Amino acid sequence: MESAIKGKKGSDRFYRHEQRTALWFILPAFLLLLVFVFYPMIQAFIISFQNYSLISSNKSFVGLDNYVQLFRDKEFLSSLAHSFYFAVIVIPVQTCISLGLALLIQKRRPGTGLFRTFYFIPVVISTSVAAIVFKLIYNKDFGALNNFLKLLHLPTTSFLSNPDTAMNGVIILGIWKAVGFFMIIYLAGLNNISQDLYEAARVDGASKIQQFFRITLPLLNRTTAFVVIITTIDAIKLSGLIFVLTNGGPNGSTETVVFYIYKLAFQQSQMGYATSAAFVLFAIVLIISLVQMKFFNRED
Amino acid sequence: MKITLLTVKYTAMVLIALICLFPVIWMILGSLRPYQELFKYASGLNIHMLIPVDFTFSNYGKVIFNETNPFFRYIGNTLFVAATVTVAVLIINAMAAFAFAKLRFRGKNLVFILFMSAMVIPGEVTLVPNYLTMHYLNWLNSYEALIIPSMLSVFGIFLLRQFFADIPNEIMEAARIDGASIPRAFMSIVLPAAVPALVTLGLMTFLGNWDSYLWPLIVINDNAKQMIQVAIASFSSTEGTDWSKILAASTISTLPILILFLFLQRYYIQGIAMSGIKG
Repeated sequence: MESAIKGKKGSDRFYRHEQRTALWFILPAFLLLLVFVFYPMIQAFIISFQNYSLISSNKSFVGLDNYVQLFRDKEFLSSLAHSFYFAVIVIPVQTCISLGLALLIQKRRPGTGLFRTFYFIPVVISTSVAAIVFKLIYNKDFGALNNFLKLLHLPTTSFLSNPDTAMNGVIILGIWKAVGFFMIIYLAGLNNISQDLYEAARVDGASKIQQFFRITLPLLNRTTAFVVIITTIDAIKLSGLIFVLTNGGPNGSTETVVFYIYKLAFQQSQMGYATSAAFVLFAIVLIISLVQMKFFNRED
Repeated sequence: MKITLLTVKYTAMVLIALICLFPVIWMILGSLRPYQELFKYASGLNIHMLIPVDFTFSNYGKVIFNETNPFFRYIGNTLFVAATVTVAVLIINAMAAFAFAKLRFRGKNLVFILFMSAMVIPGEVTLVPNYLTMHYLNWLNSYEALIIPSMLSVFGIFLLRQFFADIPNEIMEAARIDGASIPRAFMSIVLPAAVPALVTLGLMTFLGNWDSYLWPLIVINDNAKQMIQVAIASFSSTEGTDWSKILAASTISTLPILILFLFLQRYYIQGIAMSGIKG
């Protein structure tokens, strides 16, 4: 009896110790969350209604002016269009290639581990380095790409100096760099599918192609949802490659939304206006992700 | 039939591997030759398009001993920042993840949802206010600006919580009976059991910081404190046509992480795969 009470007291004391410890353990991360995520988010919301310039350090409330102006701002609208163009091409192409690569090296055969490493290496190459090397490869006169095209008797191209094609140069680099990452996610998804299903399908006389469309693809739905949503978010937020590969040019043809936001905020010092553009970007990303989630859940 | 299919598959695999590796190999080999040579063999099918005729390390010498662009300094800065952030990320986020996975406290679910909701907020939206915070704290042009805002990894908390959840609850029970404090149980039992997950998160954080471009571009003006990615990008635009030097600088900044990756790739790939399944 006495020991039971003591035990109860002990566990009460332990629970208090647990509570206190939990608070101390979470505190550092929580403070960072408040200071560098939630506080700036609120501040961004406020700044987006202000005329805020760092140079003159005066701010004035302008209501919805920034947002209204955004929808009349040709440069903003075309930066949106460029980001969307990038996304619309990259999402299907990159997803198909990464699934294809995963299927190609899924079965354990001699060398597949090595090929997995090879396909993943572009992911590890840093953005600036990749962009620099591709810039040289794309070079009109001395680049390796045109040399290959000449060897194959194809017309040469000067991707990056032509406003109509410059974005395609960015797209190729983007896919080259990211495809290995999503291949790994698809590999994990493929390894989760039970081999018994394929066995049963074989017994029923299903062809390889039927197996792919009836078993593999439906069971990868969750993985595909993840891949597509992450690819979309990354694509719409594209900026790193642009800075080094094209710097927005030629003629603004590769200026993406984030690149434009950077330009507004840190080159033209229009902090309020830039932040309202960032909020529009946030809304777009959020809406697209929600729609995609709904779409993939419906198919489940 | 089966053999032809296999041949086709392997051919495809090799061709794709060439596409993946060509730019990297071209970069490394190109850094080992005089720059006139790069242009000389730039057309026609020629083994010397890739393989140097005149091997030379002089590009490296020129890059390393460059007065205006001290590359070792940039690499040192980046190593310091990335390593510090990695250690801090591991400690801070492992602690939080442990509390979410194993400790009972009031408001746990609500706080966890708060953390996870931060995953939807793109860093681009908070870019300007975070810059203003740095300005206000007088951290512009200092390592604090590069290190402290990067110490939170909501994804890391998510990843480690999954991992800690698999550690049996009996461990906590045993700690309670032994009268051991929870911090001690965390240090001596939970953390050692989670080494693979910690390596995964550590590697992802380190590589992520090695690769960071936009934030250092904004908060660092002082050339002596610059990070490698920004430095190399501006170097490539000022050096113009001296491709060999640009390639040497690129190679210098790539080799450390490439080697790190090759040694630890198992953990890195595991971490990505895990985030895909559980996400």
